[in-house]
Amino acid sequence: MKYVGIVGSNADLSYNRYLLNFIKKQYSDLFELDIVEIKDIPMFNQDNDQTNSQPIQELNQKILAADGVIIATPEHNHTIPASLKSVLEWLSFKIHPLENKPVMIVGASYYDQGSSRAQLHLRQILDAPGVNAIVMPGNEFLLGRVKEAFDENYNLKDQGTIDFLQSVLEKFNAFVSLVNRLETPEDKPLPEEDLYSSEPIASTIEGVDMAAEDWVEQAAEKVGAVEGDTYVKLNRGILTVDQINTFLASMPMELTFADENNQFLYYNYTKEAEDMLADRVPGQVGNPLVLCHPEAALKNVGWVVQQLRAGNQDVVRIHVPTHGPDKFVVHNYQAMHDEEGNYRGINEYILDFKPIVDWYLKQTGLKLEGDIDATSGASQAEEVEVDAGSGASVKS
Amino acid sequence: MKHLIGLVGTNSSQSTNRKLLQFIKANFQKEATVELMEIKDFPVFNKPADSVLPEIVQEAAEKIEKADGVIISTPEYDHAIPAALINALNWLSYDVYPFVDKPVMITGASYGTLGSSRAQAQLRQILDAPELKARIMPSSEFLLSHSLQAFDEDNRLKDSEQIEKLSGLFADFLVFVDLVNQLVQAHESNKKEAANFSWENI
Ligand SMILES: Cc1cc2nc3c(=O)[nH]c(=O)nc-3n(C[C@@H](O)[C@@H](O)[C@H](O)COP(=O)(O)O)c2cc1C
Ligand SMILES: Cc1cc2nc3c(=O)[nH]c(=O)nc-3n(C[C@H](O)[C@H](O)[C@H](O)COP(=O)(O)O)c2cc1C
Repeated sequence: MKYVGIVGSNADLSYNRYLLNFIKKQYSDLFELDIVEIKDIPMFNQDNDQTNSQPIQELNQKILAADGVIIATPEHNHTIPASLKSVLEWLSFKIHPLENKPVMIVGASYYDQGSSRAQLHLRQILDAPGVNAIVMPGNEFLLGRVKEAFDENYNLKDQGTIDFLQSVLEKFNAFVSLVNRLETPEDKPLPEEDLYSSEPIASTIEGVDMAAEDWVEQAAEKVGAVEGDTYVKLNRGILTVDQINTFLASMPMELTFADENNQFLYYNYTKEAEDMLADRVPGQVGNPLVLCHPEAALKNVGWVVQQLRAGNQDVVRIHVPTHGPDKFVVHNYQAMHDEEGNYRGINEYILDFKPIVDWYLKQTGLKLEGDIDATSGASQAEEVEVDAGSGASVKS
Repeated sequence: MKHLIGLVGTNSSQSTNRKLLQFIKANFQKEATVELMEIKDFPVFNKPADSVLPEIVQEAAEKIEKADGVIISTPEYDHAIPAALINALNWLSYDVYPFVDKPVMITGASYGTLGSSRAQAQLRQILDAPELKARIMPSSEFLLSHSLQAFDEDNRLKDSEQIEKLSGLFADFLVFVDLVNQLVQAHESNKKEAANFSWENI
């Protein structure tokens, strides 16, 4: 689950901010929480429509993309702060990102009552037709006497409160699943992925056989691709093609680019197939993904691409345990999007996490706890026949 | 003659609530003077640690302090009062207490049929908070529904029944102001309580 947490205060010091930070840290196994601030959002004024300003649009996009929203509200004069109300007015004026969004309310205040009246007002506000959020019923979380509630590391002191908060948040998870099921009455199956890359997109180089061993050379000639010391202007900088190559070759991972038409267009070729974590050969570049995988793996490949294209997941990670105990190799399939948010293919990066973890442990003096059984993964081996980017399937 | 403040509960330039207050001012000028107060230029309240009040807030606080009563006319945004009005009230209860024991009458206008009823209900609760503690005229409500169609070209309310109702409420309010002024015994201590009241120390 991915939630947005709105700090309902624009003050420099806010206990509601501490509360959200604590929730993010303490319950990270329940959900991911993206904490957003409202202090840059101007006072709502219907004469001066700021809906398209950056801070409002950013909040809008984040809420739209989230599975749910947690609002932490202070109480001022028995109601929610003006700054929070202003945000909700913007979000119910020309845009309505909270519509049908599951929302949970928490609140902290100096007083015993812990923002109870503000929370009730907030419920009424969220229920108004322009907002139309779906607020979790019951389950109030009121944190009174906040000045005594946190220790010097901004953790809640009282174990009973921590446990209660956990139970409320678990209920919110269940509530979000329920609401999302209500909102999508039938699970529409995602459209089949075309692993044959048969629908050219604007950037597809047409007229060259995708399966050709020398696709790169033929395609380069066809479009007059630049190389060598020609400069390329990038966001943000200028490099020669040689410099780009040097740069990508130095990345401590195997990088692969497949476009949104499922065509394998690039990998950072530095090693021969037998020395790679997932083997690719130069002649494969240009292939549709269907040619990069054994028959048995295609179903999984299609599934991964579906998730990324649909935005169900930003990244699909698969641990491949077949490299022995000295490595922890992970295949990461990261969705790529252009500036407008359109799906633009997969960035597959494959790397061994173990040296990173080892380095971290050495630097911090920390030790891993518990049984580490990451490498005896014979039973997992079947599941890992997924190599959506390109290349053959995982070595086994 | 009594002097009242008509607090325009919005920062919108095209407000039917402002029109309503302008109408009240013009229509009842023989009974009381009404001075309209705007909140558009109040900065965004953010609990400044130094408690220094902007000049515009200070001026507004002084005017309210001096007035015999306040009429607040509120729009309804999302079943509540507008952020701009919450903002003004936040300021006007932060180290200044002009609303304590101040007679207040609430009116409201909305485009729809409900005439800002939910916003008015919340406003009553808000004005009851310890640092505001206004004396809100009980059992009285003036809801102007379909407010965009409610005024003629001279900015007068079209509906004579509405005018009659408003006249009754306004007359009652002037009596209510006198009544509240008789309740002065506790006023000094109420003021002190509000000033001593601190959310920080509760
Ligand atoms: C963000 C927003 C939310 C609104 N929500 C409500 C509402 O919940 N109920 C309502 O009657 N009118 C609502 N309205 C319309 C009000 O602007 C209108 O009814 C208002 O009370 C008219 O007051 P005014 O003419 O003084 O601006 C909303 C308007 C805006 C801009
Ligand atoms: C103008 C003003 C009004 C306040 N009114 C209330 C109130 O009505 N009820 C309450 O519990 N706390 C009230 N407080 C104190 C709040 O408890 C406190 O500011 C806030 O809820 C704590 O959250 P924060 O640290 O995230 O800002 C008020 C504070 C200010 C500055």
